[in-house]
Amino acid sequence: MFRLFVQELKFRRNAILGWGLGLCFFPLMYVGIYPSVADEMAGLADLEIYQAMGMNLGTFGDWIGSIMVVMLPLIASIYAIGNGTGTLAGEEEDGRLEMLVTLPLPRWQIVTAKALAVTISSFFIYLVVSFVSWLVFIAIEGQIETVLVGLDVFKAVLASWPYVFAMAMIAMFLAAFCSTRRFATMIATAYLVIGYFGSNLAASTPLLEPFEPFFLSTYLDGTGKAIIEGQKTGDILVLVGVGLAAFILALIFFQRRKLTVGAWPWQRGRVEK
Amino acid sequence: MSTNVIETRDLTVYYGKHRGILDVNLSVEKGEVFGFLGPNGAGKTTTQRVLLDVFSPTSGQATVFGKDCQKDGVAIRKHIGYLPGELALYANMKARDFFKMYEYLRKDNKSKGYWRELAERLDLDTSRKISQFSRGNKQKVGVVAAFMDRADLLILDEPTGGLDPLVQKTVLEFVKETRADGRTVFFSSHILSEVQAVCDRVGIIRDGQLVATQRVDDLFAQRMNRLTLIFEDYPPIGVFNIEGVSELDVTRKSITLEVRKNLPAVLTSAAQHNVIDIETHNISLEEIFLAYYSKDEGGNHV
Repeated sequence: MFRLFVQELKFRRNAILGWGLGLCFFPLMYVGIYPSVADEMAGLADLEIYQAMGMNLGTFGDWIGSIMVVMLPLIASIYAIGNGTGTLAGEEEDGRLEMLVTLPLPRWQIVTAKALAVTISSFFIYLVVSFVSWLVFIAIEGQIETVLVGLDVFKAVLASWPYVFAMAMIAMFLAAFCSTRRFATMIATAYLVIGYFGSNLAASTPLLEPFEPFFLSTYLDGTGKAIIEGQKTGDILVLVGVGLAAFILALIFFQRRKLTVGAWPWQRGRVEK
Repeated sequence: MSTNVIETRDLTVYYGKHRGILDVNLSVEKGEVFGFLGPNGAGKTTTQRVLLDVFSPTSGQATVFGKDCQKDGVAIRKHIGYLPGELALYANMKARDFFKMYEYLRKDNKSKGYWRELAERLDLDTSRKISQFSRGNKQKVGVVAAFMDRADLLILDEPTGGLDPLVQKTVLEFVKETRADGRTVFFSSHILSEVQAVCDRVGIIRDGQLVATQRVDDLFAQRMNRLTLIFEDYPPIGVFNIEGVSELDVTRKSITLEVRKNLPAVLTSAAQHNVIDIETHNISLEEIFLAYYSKDEGGNHV
């Protein structure tokens, strides 16, 4: 399995580099711009539209929380979904997976190696972005008023990675469950978008409150307080737990999957006499 | 089950309501090249995928080396080299990196580096990226990947597809060498000339059902003869109404016959009616195969 994991990670070298560098523009732009927009943002703190979007932009800590802790995982989840569905359903559809499953490797090892590669690659991307956020903060530190230090910013950004891990594993489970990659991607993306808006709306709408625990964004705290004190351990455990549960489901469904057929689990053939 | 390399019993695969294969009973002996014949959609690839545990059958059982394909898939696949019919490769890799990866994943040391020799024989430039290859060169990569492990069983799904005649010949030489080593080849194709060239036995699959298995030699031993008899005058009518003989065509001076049996009687009758020339036509395995395939005639059913 280790050999396959190494190969899978090698396949993602370009993705790590591309996404890592690409996402670095996010802190460069949004953290770097803060000194010039700080006063305007402080005035927008009470706007309901921002609150509905889960954004509180009053202080630098709030700004970092809203942009880097809430928005960045959403963008990084595009990589997680694309990679999570592509590595199983995508390779199945283009035929490459057939070459792999006909090697002497058990299926659980294939899924595990691929899941590890997706997980590690997304973590590397996050490490790069977190580090660049730190550097940008050091560059602007003298121009802003904040109690935060560089390491706080680094840790705050990195602490939102479990969300991306959970989305990646959900995408892998859907890839093992759905008939095609198209369905898997569609459902995962819908869950990502609905989860983001649903979580914010549920926080302010009593009608939606019972659904709040089902939205992953609920477990990301983008407030200035969380940037200083860190994400709640319980929230991190929920995200990691969801990711692990989705991974186990991916293992189960991939083990029983009729590869190359493109069928849902209930579409297994029955003999008609 | 016996010690045949491949054995299937009532193997059935349904894709939802659609039939893949139905009650396929097949055995392939050690050291033989078994040709699996049938047109597109007949069930060749489905059978191979069950053997490789790409998916499980709806009912029935398949064993390879005496082990159940579903329960012992990993152990079985250690001894199988496979070339899929719909070959898909990692396009951004160089061919040599692909072979190294394949070698690395198979954890095979007994044939380490053998891919270089195979690639050289196929005139394949392994320093180029797979994405830069033509279809034929990609197929060569697949062929090398299948043979590079010197596996005990090779499952080849239309291995010469997209290859030029010279390379096809080389691939068929690989198959013959595999047999000479005492290893087994399960070879699906709808190109009968290559099956005729390398196979010991053939199985014919039609609409998902195995309709015949036969030794290629036997198939030729009992093959039909096709004769055109040319007469000085009008050809005689009714004299070739002999068992195993059928008239295909009659012209003003000639008659064309398909002779399955009683060739001496045909020649005797022809001689008695002023025959002046006899033309013989070779009947290919393809025609014999098509005769099997004819739904009306049926052929030698198993």
